[in-house]
Amino acid sequence: MKKIAFKTLGCRLNQYETDALASRFHSGSYEIVDFNESADIYVVNTCTVTNQSDQKSRQTINQAKRLNENAMVVVTGCMANNYKESLLESKAIDFVVDNERKTSIFSLVEKHFRGEVADPEGFDHDVFSYEAAYKTFHTRSMIKIQDGCDNFCTFCIIPKVRGRAISRPAKEILNNIREVIDYGFKEVVLTGVNIGRYQDEEVNFELLVEQILNLPGDFRLRISSIEPDGFSDRFFELFAHPKLTPHLHLCLQSGAESILLKMRRMYTAKQFRQMGEKLKALYPDFNLTTDIIVGFPGETQEEFDQTVQLANELQFSHIHTFKYSVRTGTRAERMPDQLSEKQKNQRSEVVRQISDHNKRAYYNRMIGKHQRMLIERIGSDGVARGYGENYIPIRLKAKNVTRNTFVDVVLSHLHEGKELEVCAVLASDHINA
Amino acid sequence: MKTDNTHAILSVRHLTATAYVLQMTRRGLGFRAGQHLLLGKSGSIHNREYSVYSGEKEDFFEVLIKEVDDGLVSKQLKKLQPGDHVQIEGPLGFFTIDKDFIENGKFLFVATGSGIAPFHSFTRSYPELNYTLLHGVRKVAEAYEKDHYPKSSHILCTSAEASGDFHGRVTDYLRSHPVSADTHCYLCGNFNMIHEAFDILEQQGVPADQVHAEVYF
Repeated sequence: MKKIAFKTLGCRLNQYETDALASRFHSGSYEIVDFNESADIYVVNTCTVTNQSDQKSRQTINQAKRLNENAMVVVTGCMANNYKESLLESKAIDFVVDNERKTSIFSLVEKHFRGEVADPEGFDHDVFSYEAAYKTFHTRSMIKIQDGCDNFCTFCIIPKVRGRAISRPAKEILNNIREVIDYGFKEVVLTGVNIGRYQDEEVNFELLVEQILNLPGDFRLRISSIEPDGFSDRFFELFAHPKLTPHLHLCLQSGAESILLKMRRMYTAKQFRQMGEKLKALYPDFNLTTDIIVGFPGETQEEFDQTVQLANELQFSHIHTFKYSVRTGTRAERMPDQLSEKQKNQRSEVVRQISDHNKRAYYNRMIGKHQRMLIERIGSDGVARGYGENYIPIRLKAKNVTRNTFVDVVLSHLHEGKELEVCAVLASDHINA
Repeated sequence: MKTDNTHAILSVRHLTATAYVLQMTRRGLGFRAGQHLLLGKSGSIHNREYSVYSGEKEDFFEVLIKEVDDGLVSKQLKKLQPGDHVQIEGPLGFFTIDKDFIENGKFLFVATGSGIAPFHSFTRSYPELNYTLLHGVRKVAEAYEKDHYPKSSHILCTSAEASGDFHGRVTDYLRSHPVSADTHCYLCGNFNMIHEAFDILEQQGVPADQVHAEVYF
C-alpha cells in the first residue's frame, strides 16, 4: 500500500480541497500519513496570498523532497497558478497541478504508477467535482459552495489564481451536506473564495443558507469567512436559527474610508460599522472576527488610527493581521508610497495587541454562559477540547464524553496556555452544583 | 495565434489628442452596462481594466481610453488599427443599475474624465433613464461626445476654464446643488472626487446604499 502525505497552506478552501483529495486517496487504498513521515507521494496545496505564503509554500515543497528524495511531489494550489513556469523548473517537484485541475490529482497519481504518461494539462478543468470528504483532518466538514472572485480588490492576487466567480449548483451542495451529515459530521463550514456572491440561478447566498438550515439532522452550520457586501436584512435574521452559529469572520481590511476606496472594496467603513453594530444589537454575544491589512500603499498614521478605532469599537475577538505585500499584476503594485517593513511591523504589532485584548475581554464576558461544545479531541490527560457555537476554544475535564459529539457546557474560567482557551463544566454538573 | 478571448478591432475613434474609443467585436459576450473589461494587446501579458462604453444592445464593445503619460497599455492600445486584435477578460464588476429602478428611479451620475464611460453605457442601454450627469473635466474639449446626452441632463463642469456649464469641480457643483435623498448616485472617476462626493452626498442625506462607486486610478 502506497503512503501519501498532504500539507495545506492558506485558506479553508484549500483545506476543504485537501480533505476531499485525502478521502479519495483513502478510498483508493492509499495509506494517509503525517507530512513529517516518509511517504511515497507528497501533495502540497500551496497559497500565494502574501510573500510569506510564497515562502512557506516553497519551504514545504523542499521539506517534502528532504523527507524522501525518491517520493513523488505534487504541487497544487494558488502558487501553482501564480508561479507555474518557475515551479515546473524545480527539481524538487514532479507535477504542478493548477487549481482548475486539482480534482484530477488522484487520477494523475494512479496513471503515473501504472506507468502511463501522466500530464496534468491533459485533464479537464473542474473546480467542483470533489467527492464528499469522509476522511478529513478536522472534525468540522468544510463544504465548497463557490470558487473564484470578480471583485478585483486592488491588493489581491486571488482573481488571477482562482479565476472568475463560479457557484456550485445548490442541489449538489445540499446533497454534499446530506452525505457528510450521514458520515457523522456535526458541524458544516461553508467555504469558497467569495461566498457572499453565491448565485445559482434564483438561489442567492441567503436562500442557500436557509435551505441548508432546513435540512434534517443534528448538525450546526458555520458561515465563517465572508466579504461584507450585499447583505439584506434577511441575512441578519438568519442567525436567529438555532443551527446557524453566532460567529462571522467579516473581512474589514481597513477602517479608513480612503484606504477602502483605494483597495476597491465594495463597502464603506461606515457600512461595515453598521453591520457589526446590527449583529451585536440583535445577538449580544455574537462573535465577530476579521482580517486587517496593515501598510497598504500610502496608508497614513491617521488612516491606520481609523482602523484601530474601528477594531476597538467593534471588539473583534480575533484579528488576522496581514502585512501588505506587493502581488505582481495587481493594481496596488503600481501604487506609489509603498510602506517600509518596519512601519508594517509596528502597525501589525498594534493590531495584534488589540486582538489579544479583545479576545480576552470577549472570553471573560462569556464566563458563566452556556455553550454547545463539539468535542474535537480528548487528550491523554483526559481533557476534551473543542469549540462552542460562538467559536470559543473550550477545555472540558469530564468523564464519559466522546469525540465528535455535542455536550452542553457552562464556561467557567480562562485557561492561560499556548493559546488562550476557556475552561468549562458540563451544564448538568453546573446545575447540580 | 488567436485564443478564445481574442477580439478584432473594428475602429479607433480619436476624441482628443489623448483620448480615444476602441471599438471591437463582441463575439456574443453578454454584459451589463457599468461592467468593465480586462483589456490588453493580443499576445501581451499586460492588461488594464476599462469600463465598457457601448450599450448592452450593440453588437460590438467600445471602451473609452485616456492615454496615461507614463502608461504602458493605454499607449500600446492607441497604436492598434482595425483588424488588429486585443485580448479580453470579463465583462466583470458590479457597478450596475438595479433593473427595478430603471423605469421610475431618479439617478445622478458623477464622472471625472474618462469615468464617463459607464454612464455612456447606461444611457445607451436604458434610454428611458431619468438622470442628471455631471461630467468634470479641465477643459470643454474633454467633454467626450457630449452630444449623445440631452442638454437638460448633461452638466459639464470645467475646472480650468469657464466655458462649461459650471466653472469648478463636480464636487463644487454638488455642494451648491443638493441632491434629494431618493436619488441613486453613481460615482466614477478619480479617487479624490469619489472620496469627497461620498461625504457630500452623505451630508445631503443620501443613504450610503444608494451611492455606488467605481474608482479609476
